[in-house]
Amino acid sequence: METASTNRPDVSHSPHREETLLPIVDLSSSIGPDFISQLLREQRQLTAVEQFSQVHGNGVPSQAKYYSKLLPATPPGDGQQYAFEVDLDRCSGCKACVTACHSLNGLDDHETWRDVGLLVGGTATKPIMQHVTTACHHCLEPGCMSACPVNAYEKDPVTGIVKHLDDQCFGCQYCTLACPYDVPKYHAGKGIVRKCDMCSDRLAVGEAPACVQACPHEAISIKVVDRQQVIDDAEADHFLPAAPDPQITLPTTRFKTSRVFPRNTLPADYHSVNPQHPHWPLIVMLVLTQLSVGAFIVGLLLESLLDGSSVESFRRLHATSALGFGLLALAASTMHLGRPQYAFRAVLGLGHSWLSREIVAFGIFAGTACLYAAFCWLSPTSSFQPSLGWSVAGTGLLGVFCSIMIYVFTGREFWSFGQTTTKFMLTGAVLGVAATWLSILLFETVADQPTHGLFTSHITFRLAQALIIAMAAKLIFEFSLFRHLFTRRMSPLKRSAQLEIGPLFGATTARFACGVLGGIVMPLFLLNEVTSDRSTAIPRMITVAMLFTACLVGELLERYQFFAACASPRMPGRLNA
Amino acid sequence: MNALLQSVLDIVHQRSGPLTRELLLEPGEFGLGQVPSKSKPNSTTDMVCGYCATGCSLRVHLQDDVATNLTPATEYPVNLGMACPKGWEALTVLNSPERATTPLLRDEAGRLRPVPWEQAISTFVDRFGQIQAAHGAESVAFLSTGQMPTEEMAFLGALAKFGMGMLHGDGNTRQCMATAVVAYKQAFGFDAPPYTYADFEESDVIVLVGSNLCLTHPIMWERVMRNPHSPEIIVIDPRMTETAMNATQHLALTPKSDQSMFYGIARILIEQGWVNSEYIDQSTTGFDEFAKFVTQFTDERVATESGLSVEQIHRFARTIHEGERVSFWWTMGVNQSHQGVRTAQAIINLALMTGNIGRPGTGANSITGQCNAMGSRLFSNTTNLLGGHDFTNPDHREKIAKVLDIDVSRIPSENSLPYHKIMEGILRGKIKGLWVICTNPAHSWINQKQCRDILERLDFLVVQDMYHSTETAQMADLVLPAAGWGEKEGTFINSERRIGVIKKVRRAPGEALSDFNIFRLVANAWGCGDLFAEWSSPAAVFQILKRCSLGQPCDISGIDGYQQIDAAGGIQWPVTTGRDPVEQERRLFEDGRFYHADGRAKFLFDEPRSLPEQTNERYPFLLLTGRGSASQWHTQTRTKQSAVLRKLYPENLILELNRGDADSLGIRPNESVWIESQRGRIMAKAFPTNAVQRGQVFLPMHEEATNELTFAVFDPYSHQPAYKSCAVGVSRFT
Repeated sequence: METASTNRPDVSHSPHREETLLPIVDLSSSIGPDFISQLLREQRQLTAVEQFSQVHGNGVPSQAKYYSKLLPATPPGDGQQYAFEVDLDRCSGCKACVTACHSLNGLDDHETWRDVGLLVGGTATKPIMQHVTTACHHCLEPGCMSACPVNAYEKDPVTGIVKHLDDQCFGCQYCTLACPYDVPKYHAGKGIVRKCDMCSDRLAVGEAPACVQACPHEAISIKVVDRQQVIDDAEADHFLPAAPDPQITLPTTRFKTSRVFPRNTLPADYHSVNPQHPHWPLIVMLVLTQLSVGAFIVGLLLESLLDGSSVESFRRLHATSALGFGLLALAASTMHLGRPQYAFRAVLGLGHSWLSREIVAFGIFAGTACLYAAFCWLSPTSSFQPSLGWSVAGTGLLGVFCSIMIYVFTGREFWSFGQTTTKFMLTGAVLGVAATWLSILLFETVADQPTHGLFTSHITFRLAQALIIAMAAKLIFEFSLFRHLFTRRMSPLKRSAQLEIGPLFGATTARFACGVLGGIVMPLFLLNEVTSDRSTAIPRMITVAMLFTACLVGELLERYQFFAACASPRMPGRLNA
Repeated sequence: MNALLQSVLDIVHQRSGPLTRELLLEPGEFGLGQVPSKSKPNSTTDMVCGYCATGCSLRVHLQDDVATNLTPATEYPVNLGMACPKGWEALTVLNSPERATTPLLRDEAGRLRPVPWEQAISTFVDRFGQIQAAHGAESVAFLSTGQMPTEEMAFLGALAKFGMGMLHGDGNTRQCMATAVVAYKQAFGFDAPPYTYADFEESDVIVLVGSNLCLTHPIMWERVMRNPHSPEIIVIDPRMTETAMNATQHLALTPKSDQSMFYGIARILIEQGWVNSEYIDQSTTGFDEFAKFVTQFTDERVATESGLSVEQIHRFARTIHEGERVSFWWTMGVNQSHQGVRTAQAIINLALMTGNIGRPGTGANSITGQCNAMGSRLFSNTTNLLGGHDFTNPDHREKIAKVLDIDVSRIPSENSLPYHKIMEGILRGKIKGLWVICTNPAHSWINQKQCRDILERLDFLVVQDMYHSTETAQMADLVLPAAGWGEKEGTFINSERRIGVIKKVRRAPGEALSDFNIFRLVANAWGCGDLFAEWSSPAAVFQILKRCSLGQPCDISGIDGYQQIDAAGGIQWPVTTGRDPVEQERRLFEDGRFYHADGRAKFLFDEPRSLPEQTNERYPFLLLTGRGSASQWHTQTRTKQSAVLRKLYPENLILELNRGDADSLGIRPNESVWIESQRGRIMAKAFPTNAVQRGQVFLPMHEEATNELTFAVFDPYSHQPAYKSCAVGVSRFT
């Protein structure tokens, strides 16, 4: 290595520079590997403990002197429970509570159980800005708990704390949709949901929850509240401006303030429209179960148009195909579970959870459908075939009804009974017809019957008509969402409409294009062919396959919008959250 | 049998198990209360935080000497058991994959490639040596920081100036505290913030100027909230901030009209006889001239310039008069201004003329920015010679030469160029080599495009940082990987002059070395290792600095060392030899004596100057910049490394603009907008709000893009950049 001083100028700051030259040091010895490895070794030595031994008492936690006044003096009595109280006058928006909760509960890197939103409003001369710290409200009627299909939530009878049993959770995430406050958080890595338990272990030994301990301004405290008071307050809607309706779950958190919020107080994220998580396995599951149920029903209805000899072989083919789609749907639904190996636990919540009911209903549907399909092959002529077929249809419809109720339960306007029922039922109709059509064409190709050409053209006419009507009705219904764009108020449905023409514009366009193509243009084309009678079987086969695909893709996209464009209720959020 | 039954039942309904155990809490001992089992400590140690100048103490939880978690220290007189989100997440950011773990040298293809330390250091020495040989010793300069321990800053300053012959070196403290430094130096005779944080709790009137304390210093706001006297809180800020929201009087004045307003307040106080003549006579000079000067700041003039009503102004003056313990606090709204020094002194004048200084709950108090801004101000050997001495004073040079046992000729007899002149020197081709340590000018320097253009002109740029990902490191020819806070030792000096200790509780990743050890390496390689023979460890350097400080206002010679500081809960300077430093809260000037030769403080004032860049038809808005949230720090090199902190601030750059302005421009909430100044054009999401006034817009400073717009203008005394006001145009994104 070159000696560094050879080409170095004199670095003395003296006017008589020549007097003070740098000492020439042998560079190779001074920064040789030895010195560097010595420094690297030193860097690895941790000596803080040796040098700075600390003496601490092992009794009462030292922070207790700050937080003891923020805890209730006595535990809750009859008709009472613990609740968070947030003094908004003292919440400055520092968000120390969020990080303290994260650190003191040992959460994973991205995980937070508390959040701080912002309310803004007021006039030009008197604007307001109010930060709001919020976590689980430990509701009297927790949406998460009612929704949970595996009873992984418990509300402590004494403290009222809503606790999540992590080992019981199978990761269906239904609670994340059912909670109006966006409290339960799904942890994809672990395949379960986790949430705030008001640091119940700390409270049990007289310590304050992490957030209470950490707020520099003592804005968060634990109070004992009367349950009746919570109900009364919810009746008068005294919860927090711009927060979801407390009637849904009866949240116990009390936000107190000496300030008067102006009437135009809104969350800082009020105008931000962000697509929600689409839940792809659920999209596939919903669309394919509805297809399957629809196909069974349309198939049964169609049988009256078929002559006796064709019925059995058609039924055999069609039942198998409809069953295939149904089973595919159920397989897809397990992909949605964080821990599918515990899927069997879903029966536990039958008494209260629509998800449990859906799983059970579709379980029975799948069983009956299997039986039905098996009989179609093994004993095609047995007399109870039609009634077995209709019981498949019945259980299927029950399943679809449970699917509908899962979303209706969340109280979101985009998932209202009308919205959801119309969409789910019409999906069943559209795809049921399309799938049946495909079965007919398949049947036509495999079965070597001279008469089939005639009878399929007759059926084609009916199917095309049905498909066009169902699809047109569905598209018009979906399109009618955009009327909300003209409402002045930023209603949840306007938000959905904005999402569809904004961030989700591509999917929206594709959805309508597929719908129009598969459900209207192609059936019209086929109708034209049938009436002019100049088609051959093979191109029609391809056309119907394309029609089916277009309809299916269109419905999948509609269901994608169903999740992604749903404006979820939540607590006031942060700026551009 | 029961066990079997239980395990069958568990399969159906499992109340606990491995997932539940992951979040298990257990008594942490050491006075901690319950802590997560997985990070339960077997020892703890306290150290001061490495972000801002509040200087909170954090109790680090250690498992076999390695930090696993932390909680705020309960008894520390600064933070009293609390911390802001940055402090809580201080350990997380050390784990980032963006940490520099080996030296990186730019290869011929222009890519940064890992090289061994030997090669890195020899390249450093060769390249800087060659530049100095060709262009003179002054052609290599350094940019230091307010984020390193004092011992490292001192080593850097001494090594660069006394060892390597550099003349020019400055710190990023130029961007935050230079104004306060000069204001204090001129007014008090020394850079001496007089207060202690207990003053927040003892005031009955708290005046906050250009400070959003709630977000910028949440723990100081904690102290305000603990004030038992229901204080009047007067917030002087063009914006309605979180702090203004909590004020009893919010004076939303026109940007940079504060100086005129303070002069107007001084006039009212004088006119009404609301001054403390006794104090003025005994402890100040220049009052008569000042009294004469302020007569021109009539109610009408002040009201016109500030946009405030006469009633607001008089109410403010009356509140100061009626207060028994009035404290004035200022931050960047004052410091980062084209006339910051005189504005700060206008505040100081109010404190002096009302005798609100040297008593509990009073003071003209600059709230510092960085964790060790004060250490940098006193010991970085940049603007002043080690220990608050003067390079141009031969006695001071002699003293320091003797303390360091070096030839006095090694100490430059002239002052270093300030930051912006160093940049100008590069532009003019006088400075060819630059060593940037622990700061990120390519993001933070005003008029960013020009700054980057200037940095690109360098023959050799060395960046020494924890992260290889900083905007400046990405431009470097050589990156030296540094250990960060928590991975090294030393002391910080906080805003209230309190010295606190940092400790080594984590192993630095890869081959990263503490800045201190990098300086040792450079000293040896440069051939001046002998000069720094005594500089063997931060603790040893602390002893050197004690000797440097002897006899200065910032005398710390009475402190033994780190153990004493640690045990005492931090120690405020001064601590002269023999003084018992046990009092935890001390303020300066209790005897009414200041550091000028005559023992008096000076009234200093100037005619206010209008904004250097006025708004016009094309750029009709005034751009204000500032802290965006409590979870972001400066250029975010560290805070963006924590997933939790990232969640706590906006994902996009947000432009706050007045609702009326948004309406007239047809800008809807959350819409993308262009913001354009003469320097550049950037995009942001619009947030129409009444919190900013018409004709003004606000951008957080943490986003890289913001400084593309700012206008490089500087205070004439402190040379601090005026980040807070430039003219911009706003338009819909098309």
